[in-house]
Amino acid sequence: MIKITNLEKFYRTEEVETIALNKLTMEVNTGEFVAIMGPSGCGKSTLLNILGMLDDPDEGSYVFNGIEVAHFNERKRADLRKHNIGFVFQSFNLIDELTVFENVELPLIYTGVTAAERVKRVEEVLDKMQIMHRRNHYPQQLSGGQQQRVAIARAVVNKPKLILADEPTGNLDSSNGNDVMELLTDLNEQGTTIIMVTHSEHDARYSHRIIRLLDGQTVMENIMV
Amino acid sequence: MFKNYLKITWRNLLKNKSFTSINIAGLAVGMASAALILFWVQNEVSYDQFHQNKDRLYQMYNRSVFDGKLWCWGTTPKPMMKALKQDYPQVEQAARVKSANFLFTLGDKHLNIDGYFTDPDFLTMFSFPLVKGNPKVALSSMKNIVITEKTAKKLFGNEDAMGKTVKIDSVDFFTVTGVMKDLPNNTDFDFEYLMPWSYWEKINGSEDKNWGNNSVHTFAVLKPGITEAFINSRVKDITRSHSDIKDIDVFMHPATKWRLYSKFENGKIAGGRIDTIKLFSIIAVFILLIACINFMNLSTARSEKRAKEVGIRKVVGASKSSLIGQFLGESIMIALIAGVVALIIIELSLPAFNNLTQKHLFVPFSSPSFWLIVVSFILFTGIVSGSYPALYLSSFAPVKVLKGTFKAANATFSPRKILVVTQFTFAIVLIISTIIVRQQLEYAQNRDTGYKKNNLVYTIMQGNIEKNYSLIRNELITSGAATAVTKTSAPMTEGWSDTWNFTWDGKNEKEKLDFNIFNVDGDFTKTMGLKIVDGRDIDVKTYPSDSVAVLLNQAAVKIMGFKQPIGQILRNGDDKMKVVGVVKDFILQSPYEPVKGMIIQGPKSWFNVVHFKLNEKNTTAENLKLAEAVFKKFNSEYPFEYHFVDEEYSKKFADEQRIGVLASLFAGLTIFISCLGLFGLATYMAQNRIKEIGVRKVLGATVLGVTTMLSKDFLKLVGISFIVATPIAIYFMHDWLQHYSYRVDISVWVFAMAAFLTTLISIITVSFQAVKAALANPVDSLRSE
Repeated sequence: MIKITNLEKFYRTEEVETIALNKLTMEVNTGEFVAIMGPSGCGKSTLLNILGMLDDPDEGSYVFNGIEVAHFNERKRADLRKHNIGFVFQSFNLIDELTVFENVELPLIYTGVTAAERVKRVEEVLDKMQIMHRRNHYPQQLSGGQQQRVAIARAVVNKPKLILADEPTGNLDSSNGNDVMELLTDLNEQGTTIIMVTHSEHDARYSHRIIRLLDGQTVMENIMV
Repeated sequence: MFKNYLKITWRNLLKNKSFTSINIAGLAVGMASAALILFWVQNEVSYDQFHQNKDRLYQMYNRSVFDGKLWCWGTTPKPMMKALKQDYPQVEQAARVKSANFLFTLGDKHLNIDGYFTDPDFLTMFSFPLVKGNPKVALSSMKNIVITEKTAKKLFGNEDAMGKTVKIDSVDFFTVTGVMKDLPNNTDFDFEYLMPWSYWEKINGSEDKNWGNNSVHTFAVLKPGITEAFINSRVKDITRSHSDIKDIDVFMHPATKWRLYSKFENGKIAGGRIDTIKLFSIIAVFILLIACINFMNLSTARSEKRAKEVGIRKVVGASKSSLIGQFLGESIMIALIAGVVALIIIELSLPAFNNLTQKHLFVPFSSPSFWLIVVSFILFTGIVSGSYPALYLSSFAPVKVLKGTFKAANATFSPRKILVVTQFTFAIVLIISTIIVRQQLEYAQNRDTGYKKNNLVYTIMQGNIEKNYSLIRNELITSGAATAVTKTSAPMTEGWSDTWNFTWDGKNEKEKLDFNIFNVDGDFTKTMGLKIVDGRDIDVKTYPSDSVAVLLNQAAVKIMGFKQPIGQILRNGDDKMKVVGVVKDFILQSPYEPVKGMIIQGPKSWFNVVHFKLNEKNTTAENLKLAEAVFKKFNSEYPFEYHFVDEEYSKKFADEQRIGVLASLFAGLTIFISCLGLFGLATYMAQNRIKEIGVRKVLGATVLGVTTMLSKDFLKLVGISFIVATPIAIYFMHDWLQHYSYRVDISVWVFAMAAFLTTLISIITVSFQAVKAALANPVDSLRSE
């Protein structure tokens, strides 16, 4: 599904140039659950952003589903992203002014799904995430675990082929964290490819494969059994 | 998608009530001000444009050199109308207009009403429709009269006026042959009735065939297809070819330019009201722009709050264009709410605005085109104010805002700062202009008029006043109502006559010099309190030959170049007049212009006005009661109508007073809107820097120190605005002052005062938030870390 070759990304300020990704090459197959680990500043979030087409690389190739996307413009990236990729963030990133239902509905609006179909699909996914009873609440009225369920519901409502999760349990206690990991595992078992950035060895054990980064390069790959 | 936007917009508006109210208040006030100005502009532009013949309708103008300059003027000789119709096949219709004032008597009712003498074509040339009567024949016979509906109601109540008879000037009976719809509020014509020209000829004894007497307005409708340039090439010589006057050119001034382009310089159109209209339109656009700038500033200032939403929307698939659409939708919605509030403000303030501008403007709620304009206006405001925030907000990179590393820029030349400087520059220009307009007004008001205008009253001679003048004068004195009485050709505040026909020994005969003509009876200088600087007053009792004596003012003496004016002989055709005295210059016409040369003719001339000085020993009411009894005794059919000279004189300042009030009003509004914006910005700045303030206070900063730190940035912007505004204000006000020969100098303290005022207002606005932030307990702000 994903094939990146010699990917490079630099961050420049007036005085220093930091290399975030250094000729990184990797591949992720359809249906895989991959965890990316490494110390702070090793480039894992940068990698995730590039994979999610939120950011573009300076050098190298990124082939998504057989299409070279490394130098797509913003419009093309947005288009590809909204049909194929779901995001889950550490800080949930829900819109405070929208209810649970409306937050989950948002991606469907941007992909032009009809109103009736939207109601059906949002209710379906809220039901699956067991937060249907909170559909008319605002994010501030929910616990952290509930907010992350809403965020996951929003990530999957468009039935994306790929979910990118950036430390999805980082702001949760262990019990809520485990619930979230279970949800991601279920999604993966139903065929969704998942790439997750994490600091937690515990969470990483839910994946099939762990890629460890240091200074923008792969230093080790562990295949989980 | 639209519903979703609407929802989030609405919730955002409710959630940020102070932001919403500042935005809506600013935009509403801006929109209302701009709309009021545009109503006014629309009304001005529409003046006399409703005449169906407007594209073929012209007024005759003269052009000639005198006092060394090329002048144009719109009063013409009476025979010009007939000459146009007889000798110019291009002219379809023509009519003269001369104002009339007559006493209308109907039973016990006596009313003094203003109207016009005119020719029969008038009713078909202009689109002043008759509700009753036939415009083609309504003025065909000498004793016919056409009256407006208002006058019909005044005279006949609810009865049908058609065919009824009314007594005019207590001598002639007129039959109403037409009732005209009341004049619209956008015409420069001002009359309550029309009477046939033949009646003017009757009361004046004959048809005036003199091409040298310019005293009527002549209008013409051309045949279709005749161009202005063509007809002007033909009528140029009309005066020359019909008289022995060789130095006057004639041209036609089109109806489409009457109102807006009526100022001529060196024989060519040099603007007129169009200049004011342009200026006010610019002000309208700027006030609206300033309100839009508020919106831009507040929206971008709170961008950090919206950044997360932008990031999320982009992540879940929003394109930049759909986000721009969303933010524009929000600003249009705010503009819509502001538009509704603005309509309420307009409706509430229209009476006061009408009073100020002397208009009858109204909101045409039932007109579809009005609503179309309202919608476009709202869309325009929404799009202008939303454009920059939409582009700015939609450009956020989701990676940054969602990671929390996003920080709004605080650059030296951020657009927000430039916008604040723009606002305050405009506000300061208006403040400086207001001060200068008021100074100029005061300067002219304080100018020595040259005569004593208090307790001076005049009344127009009507009916038997002229016949019984000696008796009236004597009784006014003996009754104790007045201490001095004189009759004159015009009120002391108006120039009714001028001529370039006078010659004297030593005059360059080629040069045409124009003088005001003022006719006076005995006791002129005493009644007016004028000072004689040389010679003596006209006094027929002591010097019988004084009936042909003249006085000159100082300006005339200077123009004529007399070293010894007393005893000089002035000639006007066959008449010879001797100069017996020189009076100190006094202001007859504009208090802003130098006094024009004036020839004051003695008793052997014509009179229109009686002036009398009230007796200072009595109260004004007592004096007027006594005077009324005298006038009633000798002129019983006419109401006693009088004018105070000082009141009439103060009317000369009405235009400048109006400009002064409007300038203060716009300056006030601009400052208000700008300060609303500044207040909002200060609020967000205080919120954004709350942690910094906390840390500083923990480290020992004082409240004053923090307040100063927070206010300093804004005051710097106001300072820059002042530097930008000063040359702009100087440029415009210097230009404006050129309209007045008698004018103030622009002094430094005007700028000092403007700087002080602006700084004071800004400090009050900003420091409210700054002090609040400085007083907050640092523990609260730091704990949230």
